[in-house]
Amino acid sequence: MAGPPRHATMQSISNGSTLQSGDRPQAQPSQQQLSQQSPGLRVPSNRKTIYDRHLNRSRNTELSRASFAFLFGEMVTYAQRRVTGIQDLEKRLNEQGYPLGLRLLDLLFYRSTSTSSSALSSSSTSSSPPNRPLRIITLLHLIHGPLWRLLFGRAADALEHSVSPDTPNEYMITDNDPMVNTYISAPRDMSMLNCAAYVAGIIEGVCDGCGFETKVSAHNQPTELWPSRTVFLVRFGDSVMEREKVLERAGIK
Amino acid sequence: MSYYFTILSPTDTPLFNIAFGTSKGGGDGIARFRFPETAQYMNQFIIHSSLDILEEAQWTNGGMYLKHIDTYPPAAAYITAFLTPSGARFLLLHQPPNLPSSTGTGSGLGSSSLLGTAGSTTRASSSSIAANPTSPQTEEAVRQFMNEVYENYVKTAMSPFYKQGMEIKSPVFRTRVTAAGRKWL
Amino acid sequence: MSSTKTTRIGEETRVDKVNAELVTLTYGTIVAQLCQDYDSNYQDVNKQLDKMGYNIGMRLIEDFLAKSGVGRCANFRETADMIAKVGFKIFLNVTPTVTNWTSDNTQFSLIFEDNPLADFVELPDDGRAQDELWFSNILCGVLRGSLEMVQMQIEAHFVSDVLRGDDTTEMRVSLVRYIEDEMPPEEE
Repeated sequence: MAGPPRHATMQSISNGSTLQSGDRPQAQPSQQQLSQQSPGLRVPSNRKTIYDRHLNRSRNTELSRASFAFLFGEMVTYAQRRVTGIQDLEKRLNEQGYPLGLRLLDLLFYRSTSTSSSALSSSSTSSSPPNRPLRIITLLHLIHGPLWRLLFGRAADALEHSVSPDTPNEYMITDNDPMVNTYISAPRDMSMLNCAAYVAGIIEGVCDGCGFETKVSAHNQPTELWPSRTVFLVRFGDSVMEREKVLERAGIK
Repeated sequence: MSYYFTILSPTDTPLFNIAFGTSKGGGDGIARFRFPETAQYMNQFIIHSSLDILEEAQWTNGGMYLKHIDTYPPAAAYITAFLTPSGARFLLLHQPPNLPSSTGTGSGLGSSSLLGTAGSTTRASSSSIAANPTSPQTEEAVRQFMNEVYENYVKTAMSPFYKQGMEIKSPVFRTRVTAAGRKWL
Repeated sequence: MSSTKTTRIGEETRVDKVNAELVTLTYGTIVAQLCQDYDSNYQDVNKQLDKMGYNIGMRLIEDFLAKSGVGRCANFRETADMIAKVGFKIFLNVTPTVTNWTSDNTQFSLIFEDNPLADFVELPDDGRAQDELWFSNILCGVLRGSLEMVQMQIEAHFVSDVLRGDDTTEMRVSLVRYIEDEMPPEEE
């Protein structure tokens, strides 16, 4: 969806000086704008908009878990009617999670810059803003800890690196009892469906947002103790692995 | 000081632009670029030519605020950058005013000489953010400006209808950025 | 049942909790997805949201009755109180105000001071969404579905929403009839 370079558009507008003025509001010469300014949305008489709501207002607030389960269940059912199989469905759930990952990433960092008790670090004394993750391991810790705590109120259960020499780009994040699976009963003909694909999409959004091209998938790996145990397989792209080597050599943490 | 602030998507699509002047030291907040008729084009050109440097800095410095990253001497333009964790780039171009010749030491277009006026008797102190784009005071003021824009950017991005890479058209957002500029710069 | 007793049930009913923002963001994702799938035909989006809510309501009522332990309501006024002070309290942690009754006690409004579903939300600035989309329309369906399971056919729709620039968020609820010719029970 890459449009034409904006300045080209601007130029063509200003070159078209033979156009009748009055078609469009004339931009002030000192106020170059990307495009015509939108008149904007209507606002209530108290003028409150999203910009007036503090981003921490709903921090640490809770809602009924059943409400989440009902909504998420409807989301899955609705998605199921528009796809042809499990893979398709998981792909769709993944795509719906992805933009959430981007949002949560910004929210996490905003909260840790705006408050003294950082959402990202375990020590509440550090007041310097957190760093964007540059290395894979920092990124994965961000997901395993702060992201999981924001979403599910606890850290994930395990973080592992593939032991196979063929797949050094693979990492695993494990959740023994993913909330999204606990309350959702998969449709009968889709017993292999893992609704945690939604969470996989969130993880993918976080990685991509940070500049780590990634594919994330959710896999059922039940144990006797944890029947809905899920492993999120995080596979980094070649460009990430290349960069990782360069940063390693440069001593960047 | 004249400012040109832009937000670019991770793939360099412009999402938001605004030009304004300093409100410090009696400034009226109106941008007065040195070459007004080409400023729009030039500012964008200069900002885009700093993107390579930004991309390098992005992977050596994990901070969100990357401070002053580039200078374009022909236009006396200084570029300061802020990166959101989700990959949006905030870029601020600052251009100090042409010093009137009556103040003596400043020598017109020679941009780098502006930094050399530290000992001169110009009215604005050389460390004031209205005159010196690289002083620690300026750096701190820009940090505050960027943080305030970031807060408003996050509010924009949290809406389920905002998709990454969408132009930010909200007049309220524009007002907020303008207010942040007035407050800090 | 007295109104204060209803309030107490709403406040004292313990339920498993989850981060509110996960709920908010997930609902936002659903609505944004529908707008995309229906190509911004907001009437269809409203309908689909209502349908989803209806499905939820039919299952939610069981959960509601089990958690709250409340019995039958004596009349529609009591039902309204129960919806606002127990139902919404349990499931969305808000208590809308019940008001604007018609004289025959069959229609009332719920005024929402807070609406967690709409946190962080700004409607698309396309010149239509603010006139056509009822962002929280799923709630109408939830009421319709759950009340149908307890033998009440109702109609519910939003008449205003702060997201549209209105000063309040108001849902209008009308009793159509008691199903299966059942008269409202005399006692709880």
